[in-house]
Amino acid sequence: MNAHVSPAGAASSHAGPTRVVLIGYGPVGARFVEELLPSVASGAVALTVLGAEAHDAYNRVLVGEYAVGRAARERLDVIDTAAARAAGVDVRLGEAVVGIDRSRQVVRTHHDTRVPYDRLVFATGARANVPTLAGLERTTRHRLARAATAAELDRGERALPTGVVALRDLDDAETVRAAVAGRKRIVVLGAGVLGMEAALAASEQGAEVVVVHHGDVPMERNLDHGAGRLLARAARAGGTETLPHSRAEEVLFRHGERGERVFEALQCADGKQVPGDLLVLSCGVAPRIELAASCDLAIERGVLVDEELRSWTDPAVFAIGDCAQVAARGSAGPDGRVGGGPAGLIGPGWRQADALAARLGAEAIGGDPAGVPFAEERPAVVMLKAEGVDVVSGGDVSADPFDEPEASGAEPGHAAGCAVHGVSAREVTVWADPAHGAYAKMVTRGGVLEGFVAVGMPRTGAELTLLFERGNELPADRSVLLRLDSDDAGVVSTTDPFAPDATVCWCNGVSVERITDAAAAGDRTVECVGRSTRAGTGCGSCKGRITELIARTPEAAPAVPVA
Amino acid sequence: MTDSRDSHCPYCALQCAMTLTPTDAAGGTAPIDIAAPAGARRLPLTVAGRDFPTNRGGLCKKGWTSAELLDVDDRVTRPLVRQADGSFAPASWDEVLDRIADTVRDSRSRFGADSVGVFGGGGLTNEKAYQLGKFARIALGTSRIDYNGRFCMSSAAAAGNRAFGLDRGLPFPVEDLDGASTILMLGSNVAATMPPFIGHLQGARGDGGLIVVDPRRSETAKLTDEGQGVHLAPAPGTDLIVLLGLTHIVITEGLADLDYLATRTTGFDAVRRSANAWWPERVQQVTGVPIAQLREVARRLADGRGTYILTGRGVEQHVDGTDTATAAINLALVLGLVGKPGSGYGTLTGQGNGQGGREHGQKSDQLPGYRMITDPAARAHVAGVWGVDPSIIPGPGVPAVALLDELGRPGGIRCLFVHGSNVVVSAPDVDAVRAGLRSLELLVVSDFVLSETARLADIVLPVTQWAEEEGTMTSLEGRVIRRRRAIDPPGEARSELWIMRELAERLGAPGTWSIEPADVFDELARASAGGKADYSGLSHALLDTGIAAHWPFPAGSEGTPRMFGERFAHPDGLARMVAVSPRVREPLGQHGGELTLVTGRLLEHYQSGAQTRRVPELLGARPHVTAQLHPATASRLGIAEGDPIEVANTRGLVRARAEVTTGIRLDTVFLPFHFAGEQCANLLTERAVDPVSSMPEFKRTLVTVTRADATQEVVPA
Repeated sequence: MNAHVSPAGAASSHAGPTRVVLIGYGPVGARFVEELLPSVASGAVALTVLGAEAHDAYNRVLVGEYAVGRAARERLDVIDTAAARAAGVDVRLGEAVVGIDRSRQVVRTHHDTRVPYDRLVFATGARANVPTLAGLERTTRHRLARAATAAELDRGERALPTGVVALRDLDDAETVRAAVAGRKRIVVLGAGVLGMEAALAASEQGAEVVVVHHGDVPMERNLDHGAGRLLARAARAGGTETLPHSRAEEVLFRHGERGERVFEALQCADGKQVPGDLLVLSCGVAPRIELAASCDLAIERGVLVDEELRSWTDPAVFAIGDCAQVAARGSAGPDGRVGGGPAGLIGPGWRQADALAARLGAEAIGGDPAGVPFAEERPAVVMLKAEGVDVVSGGDVSADPFDEPEASGAEPGHAAGCAVHGVSAREVTVWADPAHGAYAKMVTRGGVLEGFVAVGMPRTGAELTLLFERGNELPADRSVLLRLDSDDAGVVSTTDPFAPDATVCWCNGVSVERITDAAAAGDRTVECVGRSTRAGTGCGSCKGRITELIARTPEAAPAVPVA
Repeated sequence: MTDSRDSHCPYCALQCAMTLTPTDAAGGTAPIDIAAPAGARRLPLTVAGRDFPTNRGGLCKKGWTSAELLDVDDRVTRPLVRQADGSFAPASWDEVLDRIADTVRDSRSRFGADSVGVFGGGGLTNEKAYQLGKFARIALGTSRIDYNGRFCMSSAAAAGNRAFGLDRGLPFPVEDLDGASTILMLGSNVAATMPPFIGHLQGARGDGGLIVVDPRRSETAKLTDEGQGVHLAPAPGTDLIVLLGLTHIVITEGLADLDYLATRTTGFDAVRRSANAWWPERVQQVTGVPIAQLREVARRLADGRGTYILTGRGVEQHVDGTDTATAAINLALVLGLVGKPGSGYGTLTGQGNGQGGREHGQKSDQLPGYRMITDPAARAHVAGVWGVDPSIIPGPGVPAVALLDELGRPGGIRCLFVHGSNVVVSAPDVDAVRAGLRSLELLVVSDFVLSETARLADIVLPVTQWAEEEGTMTSLEGRVIRRRRAIDPPGEARSELWIMRELAERLGAPGTWSIEPADVFDELARASAGGKADYSGLSHALLDTGIAAHWPFPAGSEGTPRMFGERFAHPDGLARMVAVSPRVREPLGQHGGELTLVTGRLLEHYQSGAQTRRVPELLGARPHVTAQLHPATASRLGIAEGDPIEVANTRGLVRARAEVTTGIRLDTVFLPFHFAGEQCANLLTERAVDPVSSMPEFKRTLVTVTRADATQEVVPA
């Protein structure tokens, strides 16, 4: 650790506001800025934002929808940068950080300006992976290569050829947008959630789409075989072809008008060629950690930060969002590996931004940041954004209902499957109705979900998501959850409007039985029933039903003849 | 001219019109009380529904049985003083008034005027509410006044004021709803709370357009059955996100009314950006409401065939209640509904005079006419009406929960007056409230029955109720209506106006203290002149002509049935859109019997139940508290229908009977809040409040549910 770093807790080594420097102005960085605005406005914090992209921050999650023309550009807006500036935030766009001197607590930008900090926050995000394929040589950026200018932040030694994009930023989106609008044939390489979303959306908007992937089913990381099969089937029904077991080897080109290379087809290992007008690479993302690495911060897949989002290495440095790998300090295993990694999802990133802004804001006014809650880690839920295809999953769904009970590592010697000292067995519940496009799996331990997937069952999927995210216990009768999408969901007790205990008059709480009793006893008009039961004497909207009940009820023979 | 027997129901803000026929005056030929059990005792009067736009002659079970309130067994008819042994003994008015005045004087001189507090109620007439605010400020000289409306309308009021510059529950007559094609109701169970209101939903139901948002399949949610609408059941406390999601869809599908937004509002851009963060998939993930339903509802709301958005306590009684009401308003503004004929936004006021009660000075920071107590011009105007120097009017006090927190604390409140409120049942964390009340030097409760709060008093003052008094109420549609005296009050019961005059005189207070409601109303009208809730054109005499008097009703005007047609009440005439986002973390990890508690109402009871639990027919139908649980949850917890159960957390424990129903979410338990003692739901709620409105959190409390006789044995999973 560097001896010059100000100790944790002392936010400012000088008089005046705490100087916070944020590197990166994506959706997570923008959220951090917005949350820290009150502290900036109050003068407790001086905030400088250094964003390499020249664009205003935008919501990357919806870039895919923008790319197919389903979302307007405004829908991607996440922050009012002008208002942030007016509030006193120094937002510098198109200015990349090229060096960090942690001992002097100053960053250097590619304009060679130096910005001192008391607290440095990395929100550098992630860049799209470019796979190692013949034809794409030297387009991959080395994970630790620093950019000298903002423009080359994500560029490899060579730019991607014409007709090949990694759908990550607005520029990529514009390329895809043009292809979709022109109803071109699009080849998507990779069937992860982003690849499938892009494919389904593009085909829905009229493009011809084929997805090439080497797995057995799409979204193999998130779905089990059954769910994956159903997704592939739904995709095909919607016009998106998926080519499983297809290992891409080479990108084939033709020559364009100016002699440039233009995408022509994807060559797979099994010999097939998949032709198209545009190749969309959807092969995952990699955290941008080169800057952190260059100043000797602990990194693994991302910048290693503890539960307070503070660097393992330097208490004045923090990381949030796609570049942050949250892990308990010193939790590296015997092999030196920490494991886990950035979720790559916006929800956790925004929670981290909220938590860190609250902490730094509290710290800046000498408050007790210990009182500020952590951005607690919740398990990641992946949901496919596509019209008419409901797919949602979370956790590990690989278990099979008829798996042998696991040998319990924690309690060797005990009979497998027994609940011992709170270690309970894994239980797997499956519902499969592929003919009707429905599938659900729940993997639980002690009644709490470890993993789940739901296809074609939106309400069940929504409910399982809540149960999974909150860690709540499931009902012992799991089928209750499956029935949420059934036609009778929630109305079982009221399906028969003429059941004796069904309420007819809400205003006066009068049941069918009381009305039929009155009718049987001789109340043969709505007014008479009203007099004896009060039914119909409130808003009056049940009078029709009362009339119907009277008509359905035979009058009982009078017990005492009228004298 | 209306009949002198024409009055309104004693309960909720719908204020159903009634005709009151004194039994004696009717000479034994009074109309037979509908459904009165044979051999029922003879009540002082009978009630009948009266044709009026809100209730069209109908009444609910509470209204039909309301005459019973006039003849309850423990009606207080003489001042009562607590004795050394804890019992009450009757005393003369002079004796108790002298003692109160002496104690107040002593406390003021030794501990300052803020050592005396006042807690009012949303059931008091406008005249009483007005006079109570004045009494606190210039007779007691205290800033410490607030009222139970803080637990009711404060979030919607704060949101309305922020957005429109003014807060009138429904800024349109309630009959306007009849013509609607779509009505979105969020967190409001009108089928149980104000059932005759259902009549106004008929048009929308007939058109398949009633949309109810409620985590429970409430009585109102069931009105959507059979194709009459849609029920959205989000997880408790996620209403704000549902609204942001709907707003997102409306904007992204091009359904927003951009012309309206441009010409009638400011702040849309920030709202648009805040809604951008809540795309449908994310909303489904957090709320449990499927995307298809969200889209269907958003499109329906925007179909331009007459849409209203209404909110109730279910979405407002949260620590983010103001923001949630704001999100509903934002949605209404994005759709261009507010101030356009045949559409709109409103909040459904709960208590009988919940609207008027929040306009005339019971709120800790307000003066009559919905004026701010910090505004020098407002202070000067009101001081002029009161005949005092503005400097003697105290500054703002503290809202209800903070006020109750001050009870008995060093430097806090030592003497408290409670009017029309039963705080040991209705406030959050009632054990703490009870402890506060017990530590007071003097607790004076004005009530007509020995409510749970009255039973803790040092002195109970017998007051008039409903059919025994003259006055005005302002209903949920901002209409000022007359309450009329049909019979004499029993024994020595007196109007609060008389009590305040007596005490004001004993305390040597400045100003005049009329005991005539018509005179007090005239003074209120003058005090409200030029304020937001301007009553200056009104008088009892004018109201007695039967006019439909919707405020603002400045002198020389004909009132304002529909508001915001041309402009909003901000100086620039534009509605303010305020971007809001969810701040509250959902409770994580509900295991064992942990569930989210939501509280609410039943058809048969009203508020703390102090009235309805004394009406045999109502109590007979709902004699004790029942807790709604889903069958799957009940079976997991080993609970069957009717079992005794315990609902507990660190604040308290409620004993209830289980009511097993599919109409509730798996993770939720519902308790009605009408019951007292160990059945009181507010033993469990916490004192956390909304930062803007100071509304407590009533609808998102973590509790553990167990069968009462359950053993502690650990059952293997």
